[in-house]
Amino acid sequence: MKKPRSFVILFTILMMGLAFAAADILIVKIQATQLRKSPQFFAQTLGALKAGDKLEKMSESNGWIQVKNAAGVVGWVHTSAVEPPKFDLLAINRDMKTQATAGEVSLAGKGFNKQMGFDKQVEDSYRAKHGEANFAGVDRLLLIKITLAQVEDFLKKGRLGEFRGVQ
Amino acid sequence: MKTKKTWALGFLISGSVIFLVSCSAIQEAAGVLSSAANVSGEAATVLQVGQKLRSTFADITEEEEYYIGRSVAALILSKYPVYNNDGLTQYINLIGNAVAVYSDRPEIYAGYHFQILDTEEVNALAAPGGMIFLTKGLLRRCQDEEMLGLILAHEIGHVSAKHGLQSIKKSRLVDAFTFLGTEALERFGPQGLTKLTTVFEGVLSDIVEQLVERGYDRKYEYEADGLAVKFAAKTGFEPDGILRFLKTMVGDSSIAAGKGWFKTHPSPEERIDNLNKEIAGLDMAPKLDAARTERFRQSISTLK
Repeated sequence: MKKPRSFVILFTILMMGLAFAAADILIVKIQATQLRKSPQFFAQTLGALKAGDKLEKMSESNGWIQVKNAAGVVGWVHTSAVEPPKFDLLAINRDMKTQATAGEVSLAGKGFNKQMGFDKQVEDSYRAKHGEANFAGVDRLLLIKITLAQVEDFLKKGRLGEFRGVQ
Repeated sequence: MKTKKTWALGFLISGSVIFLVSCSAIQEAAGVLSSAANVSGEAATVLQVGQKLRSTFADITEEEEYYIGRSVAALILSKYPVYNNDGLTQYINLIGNAVAVYSDRPEIYAGYHFQILDTEEVNALAAPGGMIFLTKGLLRRCQDEEMLGLILAHEIGHVSAKHGLQSIKKSRLVDAFTFLGTEALERFGPQGLTKLTTVFEGVLSDIVEQLVERGYDRKYEYEADGLAVKFAAKTGFEPDGILRFLKTMVGDSSIAAGKGWFKTHPSPEERIDNLNKEIAGLDMAPKLDAARTERFRQSISTLK
């Protein structure tokens, strides 16, 4: 009795895998990037993308992936900006619980309700213990913003990258 | 009988391939399973197998790398003051971002950022997540934009190959992932956060010790040199820039005493030998350009 049941479960998982793989979904893994008209950084941009955005993969060429965003716009993203959807088995575990305990409800109310990672909450806890670490300096460093237009101009004036030989 | 076995084997193999190709499949399927009133022991076993998948430095998420990098950078900035020179800092950020575009990892969680440290020590440091530091002492040794381009390409090489994350001890990573896998905040509340902060402290000390005190394994330095040549050549910088830079340090007793770069990198002579091989392997090496050297001179003239 036990064997057939495990077979059904595994079969369901495999079939759903097949269905999902066919869709070929990618997730944006960096804070912000652009959907581009052609597979190069200095191409015309078609729209902003942010961490967690879902994209449908259409084709791949030389480190670039052609994708369709949720609005149906087709464009290109660099492979380093996206990844396949990750396991979130912890979230599944949560779903499996039919009832949250009183303690869990209480913690959720305090904001302790997400899957743990090394994130802002851990950083805040670390900062509270390590006054010597210069996070204000890091925040100032991260305020330095260089736009792609500035990089393009710099490359052109220095006859670099794809602008070599162009004057 | 044989046909049956072959079929079964074929089914198993194709099943395994689907299973591996689409990790998300498990998430979807288990979501369906979880909607059932009772979750069987078999499904729980499948989930346990899944949890073991997060086990190496490569499983650290982009966002986690960013937060690790922020803290590593905060510790670097607690050891060295920042050299405030907006023009020169902007120039270095332009070179670094230009090289990053032609690197293996042009897109990174919060972008690449470069800063100058106010010390005469000759050094360059890359925190995970793309926060990169150069010292005034190193800048004084640069004579053209190519040298700077190659040095920044070497640091971007460390970030691109995740050498910082690779210096986290394996046992620590196992602890971290095991602990992260327990949903500690939900189960233990603030005590869970305290425990995770302790794990985080260990991760940071592993990285900072390698980066600042002991230096990366030599193989990582040579790998970063190889990547520097590759990225810089794609950007259009003359790869010999890094040889010229290293030659300024050969036989220099004032810096060979063992601070900064010299404590944490193989000797300039050894690196030059290795780099010559890397450069010889290029199909075509770009050449020095007068326009770039001129803008370098203008920017570096503000270095006090």
